[in-house]
Amino acid sequence: MNRPLWSRRGVLAAAAAALPLAGCAPAAGGGRLRAAFPTSGAKETLDPHTASLFVDQARAKALFDTLVGYADDMSVVPRLAESWEADPTGTRWRIRLRPARFHDGRPVTAEDVLYSYRRIADPATAATSSDHFADVDFAASRARSATELELVLRAPNFEFPAAWGAPATEIVPAGTTDFRAPVGSGPFRFGAFEPGTSAVFSRFDGHWAGAPALPELEFASVAEESARVSALLSGQVHYAHDVSANAARRLDGDGRVRVLSAPRSTMQAVALKVDRPPFDDPRVLQAVLLGVDRQALVDIALSGRGEVGDDLFGKGLRHYPADLPQRTRDVPRARALLREAGAEGLRFELLTSDSDPYFEPAATVLAQQVGELGITATPRVRPSETYFSDIEQQGVAAHTRTAALPVSTFLAQRMTSGSGSNYTGFRSPEFDALHRTALATADEAERARLLAQAQRLARDRSGLLVWGFSNWNVAVSAQVSGVRAAVPNSLDWARFDRAALG
Amino acid sequence: MRDLLPRVLVGLVQIAVVATGVFALTSWLPGDTAVVVLGEHATPERVAVLREQLGLDRPWGERFLDWAGGLLRGDLGTSLLTGRPVAEQLGEQLAGTALPAALTLLLVLPLAVLVGVAGGVRPDSRADRALRAVIAVLNAIPEFALGMVLVGVFAVQLGWLPATAAGLSGLPLAAQPGVLVLPVAVLVCKQLCPLARQVRVGVAGASAAGFAAHLRMLGMPERTVLLRHVLPNGLAPAVQQLARTVDGLLGGVVVVEALFGLPGVGSGFVDAVEARDLPVVQAYAVVFALTTVLVNTAADVAARRLVPQREVIA
Repeated sequence: MNRPLWSRRGVLAAAAAALPLAGCAPAAGGGRLRAAFPTSGAKETLDPHTASLFVDQARAKALFDTLVGYADDMSVVPRLAESWEADPTGTRWRIRLRPARFHDGRPVTAEDVLYSYRRIADPATAATSSDHFADVDFAASRARSATELELVLRAPNFEFPAAWGAPATEIVPAGTTDFRAPVGSGPFRFGAFEPGTSAVFSRFDGHWAGAPALPELEFASVAEESARVSALLSGQVHYAHDVSANAARRLDGDGRVRVLSAPRSTMQAVALKVDRPPFDDPRVLQAVLLGVDRQALVDIALSGRGEVGDDLFGKGLRHYPADLPQRTRDVPRARALLREAGAEGLRFELLTSDSDPYFEPAATVLAQQVGELGITATPRVRPSETYFSDIEQQGVAAHTRTAALPVSTFLAQRMTSGSGSNYTGFRSPEFDALHRTALATADEAERARLLAQAQRLARDRSGLLVWGFSNWNVAVSAQVSGVRAAVPNSLDWARFDRAALG
Repeated sequence: MRDLLPRVLVGLVQIAVVATGVFALTSWLPGDTAVVVLGEHATPERVAVLREQLGLDRPWGERFLDWAGGLLRGDLGTSLLTGRPVAEQLGEQLAGTALPAALTLLLVLPLAVLVGVAGGVRPDSRADRALRAVIAVLNAIPEFALGMVLVGVFAVQLGWLPATAAGLSGLPLAAQPGVLVLPVAVLVCKQLCPLARQVRVGVAGASAAGFAAHLRMLGMPERTVLLRHVLPNGLAPAVQQLARTVDGLLGGVVVVEALFGLPGVGSGFVDAVEARDLPVVQAYAVVFALTTVLVNTAADVAARRLVPQREVIA
């Protein structure tokens, strides 16, 4: 883009003459898969540790590797780490790396892993996943050999491997500070990148899992959903990430594309703040939880493409207590609770925004439903750019969402007292103790039992009204094979090393 | 030329007012770059660290004076988001927008004159009414809807033209002119209406005015009356409208760039505001204000040239 203007004009003049012939050049060709992702323009980065956008995470997955990945139920599967074990206290973890190489030929070593995790934990990096490594004692952690390292924790955690598969925990070569042309160990190597526009990567033949089928992979940043869909339908791109339920329904009958819909991908919830009136009264909280028709919300706000929630995160994931009876609407009971609490005619503002396509429709339906209890909930649309930090401080009720994560991670980061993203202000020494004990329990079955107990407690008191789980929809051209529906944060989400065009 | 100096001074004051106002308004928006960058991963600690790194912990008065001082030295500062010089970023985005905007103007100008004159010389003729109807319909459809329809028909159904700029692989737009056809078509349809109507009204008015009747009575051929006398008078108000067309293009470009995924000032400006990237927002404000002031001044001057005082119609 730095050419002098006259040459641009020259090209234009020549091109204008050819205009009628130009338009219909097909976008495909040369085995380059083009994937369109939503963007936030210049905010995009190739630094995997500060990546916060889906397009950043997808590119990081192509260029780098993590120690482990998440299966569909968020259990961990080995990637760069071949095997690992904890000592009986759950504070010392030994990890053995598989033989792997960076794009420049250097082997991936224990030092690279330590450097990457130190960098993520360093507050100066402002890394997305710093919380996962806050408990690591880096002074005591060390490389035992080139392929084996020991990480030492300040508190026992038998779920620690979950941290190694979190987004933005990719392994970078030790000493890397500049990510303009990054070197990773992932299935694709860096080619070109222009923030907010496009990135082109090429196949890395030396990848430990075998070379990808695609010679080239291009990420195109397209902010508008309609533009992503028309680019896909007209053959300009082969993969359109993040397609809403409505668009997915329109695309269903179209033979040119396939919609990949991953169920239970995103928890859709309303955070009711239990540290302030009116929801500090458990009866008022309970009344709202009982006053909501979750099926109607799924049918209307999610266009039926989703599942009802049961006021708990992680339906279908490992450690989710699946044996609980589904909470259903009980208007007389809800009214009685409100009467008892002297909260009839309750009014509150329901914060919402367009940062998620389902927030605003859900707010409208929800306001109507609680209206039948005599509660006036007024939806208030807040700016999407700062929404998630606004709702941490402000208001009493706000729509929120969380993509799939290991349940233990969610509980640690959203439910424990004073944790970073505890949107409901839930503080319970009892819950904290259960959670802590669970993490310190080596026995898998006993740990699962304790985590289930902690979740049952949170379900009634944490103030999180989980009304549903939305699907994650991706639309791909009929030419694309080797990609499957997968929830964001999981290993198979936005994974292109098995993809092929044909 | 003598009355140009006060205009320039007023223009400078206007630009200064816009720059200050935009700075104040953007500062009043909730959140700052640190919060926006961290998004869903923002925790108070991370926000504090990033805020310090970006210098956002300094009082806003100090930051404004810094920026204004830089502007006077010709330095637009660096982007909070990317750390790149604002001038460089702005230059790229302006270049991206200049192409569709210039093409639109190149098409709108002759089209508007043609349509306006065709209607204006014989007001209420069948041709005039048909043209007016078509133009009014085009004007009534929002850019967004029009763009979707055109994409649906010409890109998705017929496959004649590319739907978006996705997959340009960072190539300059000029290398793939097909990408520009639909965006420019949308902009032209939208901007044609007010301008053509203004030309039509002007031409119709001038054609029916006393001076034209007088010239015809003197036996001047109709062609000469039209081209030498009616048209210049009729175009004068249209030149003012043209200035507004340029302003309107800036607005239309925001919508069209989003719709077609084109890189340019529209998406650049929206991104900058969303990211609270003040140096970039400010630079845009100055450029937009400067453009508006320049174009409007030029329009006034041109209008005066077109209509020598003796032929001015009320």
